[in-house]
Amino acid sequence: MKNVSRRAMVAGSIGVALARPYVARAAGVTATVWQVQGFVPEEDAAFRKTVDAYEKLSGNRIDLSIMPFQALNQKAIAAIHSGEVPDLIFHDAPTTILPQNAWDDRLEDVSDVVEPQRTKLSATALLNASFYNSRTKQRAFYLVPIKQACAPFHMWGDLVRKAGFDLKDAPKTWNAYWDFFKPVQTALRKQGMRKLYALGLQITTVGPNDGNGLFAHFLIANGGQGIVTQDGKLHTGDPAIREAAIRSVEFMTKCYTDGFVPPEALSWNDADDNNAYHEKLFVMNFDGTLSPELAMIKNHKAYYEDMVVMGLPNRNDGSPMPAQLGAGGGFIPKGAKNIAVAKEFMTYFMRPEVMNENLKNGLGRWVPSIPSIVKEDPWWLDTATDPHRSTYVHEAVLGPTVAQYNGFNPAWGKVAAEQVWGQAHADVIKHGMTASAAIDKAFGRVEEIFSKVVFG
Amino acid sequence: MSATTSNRRIHSKLFYRLQHYSVELACLALGGVLVIWSLLPIYNMWMIALNRHDDIFDGSLWPEQPTLQAFRVVITEDFWYLARFWHQFGNSFYVGVAVSFLTLFIGSLASFTVGRMHLKNGWMLTNAALMTYVIPASFLAIPMYRIMQIYGLANHLVSVVAALTTFATPYAIFIFSQYGKSIPMELDESARIDGANPWQIYFRIYLPLMAPALVAVGTYALLLAWNEYLYNFLLLSTPESMTVAVALAQFLNSDESPWNYMMATAIIYAIPPIAIYYGSRRYMAAGLTMGGVKG
Amino acid sequence: MGRALVREWPPAWRPRGSERAWIAAFLIPYVAVFVAFMAYPVAFGLWMGRSPALYAELVRDPKFLPTVLNTLIYTGVGVNVTMFGAILLSGYFMDRSRWIKALLVLFMLPWALPAIPAFLAWHWMLVGHWGFMNSLLDKVFGIEGPIWFNDYWLALGSNIVATIWKWMPFWTLIFLAGRMAIPQDIYDAADVDGAVGVSRFAYVTFPLLGNLYLICTLLSTLWLVGDFTTVFFVSGGAPARTTEVLATYGTHLAFDSGDPPLGSAAMLSILPLLIPLAILLIRRLRSREVQL
Repeated sequence: MKNVSRRAMVAGSIGVALARPYVARAAGVTATVWQVQGFVPEEDAAFRKTVDAYEKLSGNRIDLSIMPFQALNQKAIAAIHSGEVPDLIFHDAPTTILPQNAWDDRLEDVSDVVEPQRTKLSATALLNASFYNSRTKQRAFYLVPIKQACAPFHMWGDLVRKAGFDLKDAPKTWNAYWDFFKPVQTALRKQGMRKLYALGLQITTVGPNDGNGLFAHFLIANGGQGIVTQDGKLHTGDPAIREAAIRSVEFMTKCYTDGFVPPEALSWNDADDNNAYHEKLFVMNFDGTLSPELAMIKNHKAYYEDMVVMGLPNRNDGSPMPAQLGAGGGFIPKGAKNIAVAKEFMTYFMRPEVMNENLKNGLGRWVPSIPSIVKEDPWWLDTATDPHRSTYVHEAVLGPTVAQYNGFNPAWGKVAAEQVWGQAHADVIKHGMTASAAIDKAFGRVEEIFSKVVFG
Repeated sequence: MSATTSNRRIHSKLFYRLQHYSVELACLALGGVLVIWSLLPIYNMWMIALNRHDDIFDGSLWPEQPTLQAFRVVITEDFWYLARFWHQFGNSFYVGVAVSFLTLFIGSLASFTVGRMHLKNGWMLTNAALMTYVIPASFLAIPMYRIMQIYGLANHLVSVVAALTTFATPYAIFIFSQYGKSIPMELDESARIDGANPWQIYFRIYLPLMAPALVAVGTYALLLAWNEYLYNFLLLSTPESMTVAVALAQFLNSDESPWNYMMATAIIYAIPPIAIYYGSRRYMAAGLTMGGVKG
Repeated sequence: MGRALVREWPPAWRPRGSERAWIAAFLIPYVAVFVAFMAYPVAFGLWMGRSPALYAELVRDPKFLPTVLNTLIYTGVGVNVTMFGAILLSGYFMDRSRWIKALLVLFMLPWALPAIPAFLAWHWMLVGHWGFMNSLLDKVFGIEGPIWFNDYWLALGSNIVATIWKWMPFWTLIFLAGRMAIPQDIYDAADVDGAVGVSRFAYVTFPLLGNLYLICTLLSTLWLVGDFTTVFFVSGGAPARTTEVLATYGTHLAFDSGDPPLGSAAMLSILPLLIPLAILLIRRLRSREVQL
């Protein structure tokens, strides 16, 4: 094992020494690639397949390590900060790594891989892949975006029916949509389901993303989408945005204090809401990707009959609500020894047919960053064989979308890591603060975090 | 013999018995508390493992349809996270045994030298080791990752063995030098007069007398290596090189993991260290009888 | 009582020539490991956290001081309860009857279990009214249990109890080994003097194990300060990151905020408190009086 990789290393450095950049066939070079483990085995198999096909085509070798999300995060940060890096890291939504390290000039510019596909890629994918470098003082592509994901609504259709409601009657605006499920709880409790709740609202500070993603969508629904703009500027001083944030906190905390959210939601970890959802302890929640459904795909009745996935209703003012997308793909740390091979592999991966094949093999938990793919291949929108995918694809690809704020300014990642919004909810619920006081406190902290990041 | 003395004797016998029984009763009660204390969370793990799905919140005190299916899945490697379970189990075993053996060997040699070979300022050596505990292990993660890359040990079990031995050894030295002070120096001296060299004194006299401490520290090092995961997953990354501790962390990859499999894996994985401790327990008891020889 | 064993340590005479070679040979493995795997990482780590600006940034974070306070409570209570319980229980487990031996194996289980699943089980046992604990309270005692992690003290207490549960078996084992080194004739002499039960513990056992006890307390303090698994998996910092300790806080900074230098600084910030402890520990170890 060790011998092989060391020999590979030597071969690799020789290869780089000989090869000029972008030589298509840098014959026999081995690149080290770290890949994030999928949620389902099919995702890993799909990646392996893509790698095999590339190896056959190019004559290069990929030395592949697959590791769990959290481990890859830590390992990637350890690698980048210690300078002992792999040639390519393929990661899901690496928002904690990319913005800061692009800023610090620790990543390779991959614009030459992304540019050729620029016209095909969605605007959101392009935004999610580009970051500001404080040394070169400009934005560039540091991620080769392969896949994207959004958060849809997940609900137990059978519970809604049992309560005597029809999902077709669900209102078309955001707050009213959530409110629709409250009487479902009341009705089901009357039928004897004493401890059932309507909403799996993750107003927690524990899980890394659930609480932050939820708040961002509430903010968008209330007209506060511009809290951070593409130029990296923070707009907490804008009264409309402050108002949107206050209304978001008010609505969510009221759902909680009115008893429509399980009381422990305040301290849920990443998996707790999913576990509770599978036990049917609440009717609906809003959570990333199709994983709650895919986890139960072997339970035919649950997957095909009981579970329902719904896209986003409109914003509270009636205008269409964009979904916020996370991106996954490859990036190259500075100091990588086989940049040419890494780029060549990603160029291959960006071919629409390769991307499509790979994501389909991964059961469609992630959607392609090239929208035309889902229009050309009927598999993506086929409702006959799969009840959920089409809804999901409509939300993530065909409907309006926006990029995550993380890419606009690295400070946003720190705001998320501090769980500032979850704390605002706790301030209201536990300490009796008013929503506006809680938001003033949260905004104060956000402004302080942003003040340390100065665009040159 | 007068009636009063025999009466008193009966009284004191009764008192003694009562006292004896109440002590026994208190012991039993404490035993009961300890059983509940130790097993309550384990019972919860066990329950999750026995459920057909990962019914963590189903609110029942005993699974409705208990099944050993999760254990079967683990044992037969019938789930993708566990596809190389027995191989990884072997890796864990290798790491655990190597770390505990090296820790005992290096630690006891160092404490023997410092404590029994009249090394001037030898204590400074152990102090330097101790000072490293001031720095939390998790803080050393990044530098440790780097140094293993430099040594060319990345993704090799040796790297984990080296890192964990480094963490465990200072502690071993402390316990050994504390414990070793109770072993009379005269034993060494008489052996020396009989012509034994330091190695023989170490191997034939010091080590056997240290048995209880060796068992305690050996179990400590084994479990440290067995269950440590930060360094394991920082330093190892392919399914071939992983230990079970890393494989277990795979379940955290997703918010939708089959937690019943995770708990079953954890329970199976806890058996070997307990068995090893149980097997070496009699050496601890041996120390007990030797205690009488000393002093 | 401890005086009985007082002796010069080690006896003052110098090594002979050939002895020097033996000493060198015996120390090489340890010194090699130490230099190869400890010296560099520690130096590198200190170097990462060297900038004073990092500490200024920490102090400006409103979460920092409460986190330090939590660390003190968590470690202070956790360590002392663990140690005191362990030294008492080690006496209990000295009993050689068979069922107590069997109980010891059972008692060791928490320590043998891998930490992540064990602490996740704690989390699930306590999270909300569907967790095992509240189901138990409800079904057996008819009590509506609290939402454990929504209350600061209950959440902090859960973390402390979980850490005691996990680590007490280990320290019990160490004290058990320590007790086994106490020569039986000391107890015999104490028996003659009529020292039994509490007084035997207070006047015989504890003075003899005192040094070991102190050292173990200091060591476990150092370890617990660096331990992040318990808090990370049991309460996860809930409610609202109020039960975070420095180890979890530093990990969040290093890996969730992607700022390893700041995370390192957070962990180093406790050094002014730990170094005096370490110096105390060293002085205890150097004490020439052999207590045990």
